[in-house]
Amino acid sequence: MTPRSTWHPWAMLGPTLALLSVFFLLPIGVAAYESLFSWDMLTPPRYVGTANYAALAAHGELLRVALRTLGYSVLVVAGTMTLGLGLALLLDRPGRFFGFVRASVFSAYVVSWVAVALLWMWILDGNSGAVGGLTRWLGLGTVSLLGDPRWALPALAVVAVWKLTGYAMIVFLAGLQGVPRSLLEAAALDGAGPWARFRHVTMPLLAPTASFVATTSLVTSFQAFDVVRIMTQGGPARATELFVYAIYEQIFLNLSVGRASALTVVFFVLLLAVAGLQLRVWRARAGASR
Amino acid sequence: MYRHDVLARRDLLRACASSLALAPLATAACGHRTRPEHRDGRVVVTFWYAYGDLVRKVMLDLVARFNASQTRVFVEAVHQGDYYECLAKLRTALAAGAAPTLSHVVCEIIPYLARAGVLEDLGGYEGARLLPFVPALEQRGTFAHGDAEPLVSIPFNRSTPIAFFNARMLDEAHLAPPRTWDELLDAARALTRRAANGEVRWGFEVPIQGWYWLAMVGQAGGRLVEPDGRVSLGGDAGEKALRLWQRMVREEHVMRPPPGRDYQAWQSSNESFLGGHIAMMWSSTAHVRYLEDNAHFPVVTAPLPRDVRASVPTGGTMFVVMRAAPDEEKQAAWEFVRWMCDAEQTIAWSTRTGYMPVTRPAVERLVERGWYTKHPNDRVAYDQLAAVEPWPWSPDLFRVERDVVEPRLEEGVLEGRDAHVLMDEARDEARRPA
Repeated sequence: MTPRSTWHPWAMLGPTLALLSVFFLLPIGVAAYESLFSWDMLTPPRYVGTANYAALAAHGELLRVALRTLGYSVLVVAGTMTLGLGLALLLDRPGRFFGFVRASVFSAYVVSWVAVALLWMWILDGNSGAVGGLTRWLGLGTVSLLGDPRWALPALAVVAVWKLTGYAMIVFLAGLQGVPRSLLEAAALDGAGPWARFRHVTMPLLAPTASFVATTSLVTSFQAFDVVRIMTQGGPARATELFVYAIYEQIFLNLSVGRASALTVVFFVLLLAVAGLQLRVWRARAGASR
Repeated sequence: MYRHDVLARRDLLRACASSLALAPLATAACGHRTRPEHRDGRVVVTFWYAYGDLVRKVMLDLVARFNASQTRVFVEAVHQGDYYECLAKLRTALAAGAAPTLSHVVCEIIPYLARAGVLEDLGGYEGARLLPFVPALEQRGTFAHGDAEPLVSIPFNRSTPIAFFNARMLDEAHLAPPRTWDELLDAARALTRRAANGEVRWGFEVPIQGWYWLAMVGQAGGRLVEPDGRVSLGGDAGEKALRLWQRMVREEHVMRPPPGRDYQAWQSSNESFLGGHIAMMWSSTAHVRYLEDNAHFPVVTAPLPRDVRASVPTGGTMFVVMRAAPDEEKQAAWEFVRWMCDAEQTIAWSTRTGYMPVTRPAVERLVERGWYTKHPNDRVAYDQLAAVEPWPWSPDLFRVERDVVEPRLEEGVLEGRDAHVLMDEARDEARRPA
């Protein structure tokens, strides 16, 4: 299709480009600029060059935040997809009971992060929570998962998986409706068992759905803030200090706009790298399937 | 370099960023207010405060009493979360030109806010220099050389760390409150019990936070900042303090570090103490009343134990008036602050909450009324003021305590990292520009 005038495509793209420029490119540009200053919002800024990046990189803190965020995302994406797909396969059946279970699983997704975080704080409490009661009953004593640097991050990932699984399940259920029954019957007639039908018919046809779930879960996990703010405030020993929370803490609690901006720039580059990698994998897959 | 065109852009960006971050203030983020706000002919003083539960109720009662007492000023108290949330909002609002007239802030941030020039010098207000404060709790006693700085803060809810004991558990173990670090360790060993199902009653608990560590640094003979301005973090004393915690948590297993950071950790300790899960804890004098009223066992307090000397920092908050507020509002805010410093209000505030009475007449009246005889725990808190170590007047104090020291204390206690390496790292980090 050829546009009647050369400016028509720009007119169509204009509103989106304007929004992207004002709310995305400009703030990133401002953050990159601010990252070169020592500034606390109240006193005049002082140019410090790359000192903010150096301070963040010193003692490996920046690398730790990046690895922590990636690790959390891997746990959340893997957990959400596995459980979401499993539940979708189990619950893709007619009947009121299955409808009730589907609605129950999905209900967690519509609850606010704040409510979810408060609920799980109570569940995970070592003294009065369900997990504490279970560990004492098992003779393991009082276990405080949120107070242990080894377990606090996985515990937060479990909370996120619990909340996001309902959403993944619904999307996978929608994807399953698009798998032609005739293909599954043909495979069965050719002697394929349940696993072979799932492996060679259902899974390839669910690939676009899986990509969509992976992307949305990844974006949500990278944006994690509420759950950290309420449940751990980045502790213990910074074990749950993810990128967005670290940015918040630097700017609002530690009075350092420069370091928060430097973190924002690094976070942006990291997201760009992950998005680029994902795009490359998709294109490779698309090329292979043609 | 700081240029005017950069400043203009920055002002715009600052207003945008602050408006986005703090949506309710967005409409007000268009510069400093020049005209005072009035309601029913009274000057409105917006007061941002940061309390919850009992303390919030007592504060609102006092504000209501003030508002009912006269016709010229109306104080509008606005809750802004905990201390740190309130501070974050205050800084953002100051940057956006939408700050309240009056607030109260933790002591450690006052030198920074003073340097930023956002606090009103109260020295010239009527009677400001004559208020009969308890020396250790006013600005000149709270900060080393605090009297050499403009008077920008007035004591409000002041506290010190103090040791709390479950008296029943102490009696059962035939123990007296420990007076030294060695006695603390021995008592924690004696009071720790392990049940067959693995459940532990901990001998000792204290949040792994800068305030308590600083008390121990002082007790071990060190100080955070040396007289020449160098941030030493106590030198050997800082490491010794951290090592004691490491020993109690990781080697002896007689101390539980509570989960959570900031006030979540304090709340967790209080709950464990009230639930009978710990025998001794360090907390704030601010919790004396709450713990006494809610414990199902007798609660006793004692001064923190000493190593080479007795030492405690002060805590809590001070009133601050924003310099950018209209003059009429600042004057009205001062009237409210002065009223709060009257003996009756100070007594009501102190006796109902557990915070220290901040004026000498209030203390004298409490002595006359026999308050300390009936409430010996309050007396312990007051007597401990003799061991107060002033904070250094350092604009980096808040950042160093919260961003540099506290995460490393947690790493030392929870992950077992070497105290010397951690403190070296912290000293290096403290020297970097924020």
